[in-house]
Amino acid sequence: MNLAIKDIRFSLARFALTALGIGFLLMGAIGAIGLYRGIVADALLVIDRIGADLWVVQGERVGPFAEGSSISATMDRRVEGVPGVAEVRRFVQFSQQFAYAGKPRRATITGLDYPKDRGGWFALTAGRHLDAAHFEAVADVSIGLPLGAKVRLAKDDYTIVGLTRGLVDSAGDGLMFVSINDAMAIASRRPSEQVLLAREANGTAASQPADTGQSSVSQDSKIAAVLVSLQPGADVAQVKAAVMHWGDANVISRAEQRDLLLNQRLWRLRIQILAFASVLLLVTAIVISLILYTMTMEKLHQIALMKLLGAANARIVSMILQQAALIGLFGFVLALLLSNTVFPWFPRRIVMLPRDLALLFAILCGICVVASWFGISRALKVRAQEVLS
Amino acid sequence: MNGAPLLSVRGASRHYQSGDTIVRALDDASLDAHAGELIGITGPSGSGKSTLLLICGLLEPPTFGEVRIRGQLVSYPDADLDGLRGFRRDNIGFVFQKANLIPFLTAAENVAVALEIANIAPPEAHGYAVELLQALDLGHRIDNRPSRLSGGEQQRVAIARALANDPPLILADEPTAALDSVRGRQVMELFRRIAIERAACVMVVTHDPRSLDLFDRVIELEDGRIVPIGKGGG
Repeated sequence: MNLAIKDIRFSLARFALTALGIGFLLMGAIGAIGLYRGIVADALLVIDRIGADLWVVQGERVGPFAEGSSISATMDRRVEGVPGVAEVRRFVQFSQQFAYAGKPRRATITGLDYPKDRGGWFALTAGRHLDAAHFEAVADVSIGLPLGAKVRLAKDDYTIVGLTRGLVDSAGDGLMFVSINDAMAIASRRPSEQVLLAREANGTAASQPADTGQSSVSQDSKIAAVLVSLQPGADVAQVKAAVMHWGDANVISRAEQRDLLLNQRLWRLRIQILAFASVLLLVTAIVISLILYTMTMEKLHQIALMKLLGAANARIVSMILQQAALIGLFGFVLALLLSNTVFPWFPRRIVMLPRDLALLFAILCGICVVASWFGISRALKVRAQEVLS
Repeated sequence: MNGAPLLSVRGASRHYQSGDTIVRALDDASLDAHAGELIGITGPSGSGKSTLLLICGLLEPPTFGEVRIRGQLVSYPDADLDGLRGFRRDNIGFVFQKANLIPFLTAAENVAVALEIANIAPPEAHGYAVELLQALDLGHRIDNRPSRLSGGEQQRVAIARALANDPPLILADEPTAALDSVRGRQVMELFRRIAIERAACVMVVTHDPRSLDLFDRVIELEDGRIVPIGKGGG
């Protein structure tokens, strides 16, 4: 007979509660690791999917994610003429606060260089991609806008023509895609008073219109970067050298952009979450060890009896290990169920990678074995005559 | 009794250090016990009864002296008793004041576990456990857990477990202490029956004078030493 299973069936409620407790602890660990993975995935989302081989940004800067970048509005035409360049697209991204249905919303406005880029590089859950140069937007569902909704951004109304899921920036704000010209218009909004004050300061005529393309208010370009796709076989170093020779631009590869984001801008956050995940794993290990050790301690009398009956150590060790394994296994399964049920409702993306889960399971197995070992070493010291105590 | 003794204890002593003094829990005890004998061990508290039983049951080694079972020298000072687990399983059955049943097993499983530990296949072990329980009038309690059994029934299950591997030596330490007089008498009569029918040697530590008539002989201990009394003497 299997004594471990008999014992568990006898104290089923207790076993279930213990496994549930371990499940919650593991869920916390899965959540912490998943949050880390989610932040990294969100941060790299645009860089990985937008399909740019090189990012041309403001000279002596490493924008647009690690720091600010503002380049000439015509930089794309200059880059397009560099040998080896197949295609260029302008890129801009900035945070925007607006109201919808009486509630404040946040979005990260991302400009698509329409008509070259209609957003075909991301998948839609509803609607369509951009089909007009102005006043259309594709929004992530996390922003909370329904398909067909009209939202006012700067001085214009935009219609939500498509919805995406899981497209957010490194801070977790949903992306809202508009044409690059619309994005620049939204970014350039200024109150009338500010325009007048600027004119006075510049001594320009009050009769000049404020809303023409050549504004009397001096302002930086809102274009943050030019995305470059190279021709097959193009020499990356030559393209970089050619652009950097101009002096007003810097060129960053996709790998460098990833490195800048992960190891510069998000470094502290990543370390913080990793440290939190490590602490949580340590606490989980201690608690699970304590639970398994206590369970073994409670069985010392029965272990002494089994020794009195002549049970070999292997049988006793097997019983303790089996119980530890069953509790660990059920705890892990519960943790997976809980994680899959609860985490989709969390505001930030929790990414549960199979390799992370496999590693966590392996760590859990290790914890069970180590914790059992403490119990087993105590159990092996029990003398048969202790059954009399 | 004729023939070679099943159990032979020679000059067994058990001394404990307590501060500067040495406590002589058992002092130079010698006895022979034969198959088919029911032997009572009596004496006041602290006289060394349980210590003698522990030494005979290979649960404590003697400080001096030796223990032989079926002529084989099995226990002596510094003997590795943990290594005798298998020998103990095949040769000695134990019954204690508390039944010490495993709470999450049924009566039949509590008996069968002793057989499975001896590598008997589970179906055979369960079948024989049921037979033993039926023989001890517990056929109706086979599937009950200990919490559903009376004290007397629990003790009979413990006796069935002690008998499971058909050991030639059964050691019982105050098995009737927790039972009323009627149940206590029934248990003692059961030991009597076991000694006769199974040709086992049964040694029972008891305080209960009402069952003394069932013993073949009684060994009395006082201050750790055996005082021969009763029918046969030690």
